Amino acid sequence: MTAIGIKTVSASPDAVQTIKSEANSNVVNSEDTRGGTHASGGGNAFLLMPMTLFFILLTFAVLRSPSLVSSNGIGSAIIVATPLVLATYALMAVVIAGRGTVDLSIGPLIGFINVTLIQLHGAEIIQNPITVFGYAILAGAAYQFIFALIVIYVRVQPIIVSLSGYLALSGINLVILPRPGGVAPEWMSEWGLGTTIFSPVLLILALASLAWILFAQSAFFTHLRLMGSDERAAYTSGVPISVVRIGAHLISGAFAGLAAITFTALISSGDPSQGTTYTLIAVTALVLGGASLAGGRGGVFGSFLGAINLYLITYGLATFNFGAVQSFVTNLAYGFILVASLLLTLAIPVIQRYFKNFSALLYFVSVGTVVLGVILHSTFDYKGFSERAGAPPTAEVLTNTEATPQQRQPLAKINPSDLYVGALEIAEDDARTNALREQASPFIFGVIILVAIAVFARMAFSQAKNRDLAPAIIVIIAALVLFSGYLIKHGQFSPTEPPHFNSNSGGN
Amino acid sequence: MVEIQHTATQLGLPSRIVGLLVGAALTCLGVVFGFIQGISVQLIILYAISTLALFFWGWNYVLTKFVLDQNNNETDGPGEIRRLWIENRRSLIGFAAILLAFLILSLSIDSFFNIWNIISLIILLAIIMLTRTLGQQFQTNRSAFIGIMVLSGLFSVGAMNIDGFSSINNIKSMLLFASFLGIASIGQTLVALLGGLDLSIPFIIGSANVGLLYLISLGVPPWLATILVLLTGGLLGVINGLLSYRLQGQALIVTLGTGFAISGGVQILTSIGTAYSGNVFGTVPLWLSNLSAMNGTTFGMPFPPVIAIWAGLALFLIISMRYTVYGRYLYALGVNRTSAKRIRISELKYWVMMYCISGFFAAMAGALLLGWSGGGFIGVGDQYLFLTLAAVVVGGTSLLGGQGGYGFTVIGVLVLQVLTSFLIGIGLDFEWQQFIFGILILPMVALYARSPHIRTQI
Repeated sequence: MTAIGIKTVSASPDAVQTIKSEANSNVVNSEDTRGGTHASGGGNAFLLMPMTLFFILLTFAVLRSPSLVSSNGIGSAIIVATPLVLATYALMAVVIAGRGTVDLSIGPLIGFINVTLIQLHGAEIIQNPITVFGYAILAGAAYQFIFALIVIYVRVQPIIVSLSGYLALSGINLVILPRPGGVAPEWMSEWGLGTTIFSPVLLILALASLAWILFAQSAFFTHLRLMGSDERAAYTSGVPISVVRIGAHLISGAFAGLAAITFTALISSGDPSQGTTYTLIAVTALVLGGASLAGGRGGVFGSFLGAINLYLITYGLATFNFGAVQSFVTNLAYGFILVASLLLTLAIPVIQRYFKNFSALLYFVSVGTVVLGVILHSTFDYKGFSERAGAPPTAEVLTNTEATPQQRQPLAKINPSDLYVGALEIAEDDARTNALREQASPFIFGVIILVAIAVFARMAFSQAKNRDLAPAIIVIIAALVLFSGYLIKHGQFSPTEPPHFNSNSGGN
Repeated sequence: MVEIQHTATQLGLPSRIVGLLVGAALTCLGVVFGFIQGISVQLIILYAISTLALFFWGWNYVLTKFVLDQNNNETDGPGEIRRLWIENRRSLIGFAAILLAFLILSLSIDSFFNIWNIISLIILLAIIMLTRTLGQQFQTNRSAFIGIMVLSGLFSVGAMNIDGFSSINNIKSMLLFASFLGIASIGQTLVALLGGLDLSIPFIIGSANVGLLYLISLGVPPWLATILVLLTGGLLGVINGLLSYRLQGQALIVTLGTGFAISGGVQILTSIGTAYSGNVFGTVPLWLSNLSAMNGTTFGMPFPPVIAIWAGLALFLIISMRYTVYGRYLYALGVNRTSAKRIRISELKYWVMMYCISGFFAAMAGALLLGWSGGGFIGVGDQYLFLTLAAVVVGGTSLLGGQGGYGFTVIGVLVLQVLTSFLIGIGLDFEWQQFIFGILILPMVALYARSPHIRTQI
């Protein structure tokens, strides 16, 4: 009974939570104070992980299958990834609201809107786009409104409410539509083809992201984040926490509605059970995007990257032919990447100690330039490789990672060289390539010097007020190294005559 | 306590006489029925005495509580009727709502209005009444009390409405499934007491299930294979604990990640070189299938040993968590980390240890499920993802840590199992079962696990 006694003294579950977060204060506090300052751009060190992962995965996926960056590839990527991105946005709104509100019922909710939409369409009750959108958004918002009321007035822990909702909704989905089937509205049927980049789905995604960015600028969002990181502080400083919580849930519901519409467009029919899988994927994507499940931290850019990262993992793995164990390998990779990226977030406070003003934007642009180069290189320079790598995985393969037992076949033999070297091997060295390298090297060299100077200048400016000489020394040493490098390079460079060839020839 | 003793003896004479009379009447009724049914006289006397004693004890106990309550009442304020309305407003509205729902159901569904359903309604109302009145008195073990009330209510309603619900076979099968769930939720309970969550349990169950059969089919002696699987489960638990120690707020997602990795890895391992990925075929040794099959025997007694194992584990855990240093330290850590650290309790040690236990018992549940089904299947643990969580929560263990215990989870497991059995018994499909399951978890938890209002937390 001592336990109970102590419990009544400490009086509140949240107090326990606070103490816990204080217990490992060096991690959590710095997370809470530094994290999530802006929805996009500067100052958020927690974007480091998703961005790094994004570029690694993107490079990997493009090297494996260069047709990802074709019109078809990007089109199908948008189609497949949009429901996931929107589901992540929906989850993010409530997760930021704190109290451990990880809405496990987000997947079944998407499934619910999907099946009811299909059934209502089948019964010819809702037909035109306006009513479809209206219905989906209102249904999502209505469910989340009830959710919020229960959390506020019944005062049960949100995770229990979401568990309850998960079971109830995934049950009722099967009642409404016992097996996959039905047809989506006609005007929606072309959306799911994914043959062009500029589809209505992209418009929905862009508008939703824009809406979220605008929302993140509002005072309401500040209140939301304050409530998420410390509800009692928010209450005492006069934030109307009930209103804010209801608002967060309404926004979440609206995004869930949009996610359900794009999901319907993706599968062009109704599916009672597949929507349910979005719960775990969306939670994973959210965490990969640097949001904290404890509340108070999360941004649209990070969540977007997190969701895209998940897509890229699936895509990259789908380029390998693992045969029957494909879904297992995907699971394994999900698990490892998730745990690794979570563990790496622990390193962020350490990194921040050395880079006090980490700029997400600068990082994104600099790494992005490099990756863009790799993408252009692999896509346009070496046509032969894409033929060797085979066709890119289609949207259908990507959505059906869970193969049914009937579909499983004996394990195909994996060529070990494909596994280890295949990803990195782009083309044979030939005379033309070398000539191209020779010609391009001064430009590349110049770009590297420019980037290096920019980075060092920035560092020097930022450290200047510390009156620390170290950066200046670093700058000087770096400049010397670069200069000597240039000298060596220059000495070897034969200026007799640049190899002559048609610069467009790389494109065929 | 002295105060309570004092008032207990002061129960008025009239009320005691009324109690005695009602008790006597009940006893007489019992005796008459006993003679009509032709039970032997000794048994009738035994039942009569126990009825009288039980009733009289209950009467005194309940009335004392009410008398204690009434002493606190004040006389001024609004009028009698108005005060009654204000005090009982919620119960009256709830009562009216239940009656209305019953009426609507009776009018809309044919043959709904029969004697059994009315008795069920009365039992339901009685349970709600009792939990509202008596439940107030139980400060410490309120959730256990409510759980037992719900359990007995559900069971009696089920026994009345469904043929064979209270038969030995059905009880045996309910206990069998309850023991799988119960063993799987041991870890979840312990981890929840520290304020963590372990979502890798279903994946470890599935992996142990497949992995054990795989090892056996490779030719490893079954006992060695079982030990290996259990140890691996514990090891995976340790990894879980170490990985999530620094990320305690995100324990949910860390364990989910390791769960994905574990199940993926084991499946790759077991499906290399076979044609049937995900399923492993092999022969389960007899002792393992006897351990958890419906027709298994425990030392000659006609129930599967897994029930006895679960009962033993539950007893051990309840006692050790209450009376050993380890158990008390666990609670201390769950309630307040900082103060527990001040008395030099290692948080890391307990955190990792609980996850280790969780992994171990998840592997055990997987191995036992293999004995039950006879074939390895990775998805066998899927339903336990939310069921273990639900059992812990319905039982009354707080997910924030420090409050609850395995005894509560046992009640939660039994409630969930009887509810499932009941829903199957009245012929509901799986999807409706799940729906009602989800709808019912909320009010069950709301009966006792409401957190205080924010304004009281400052």
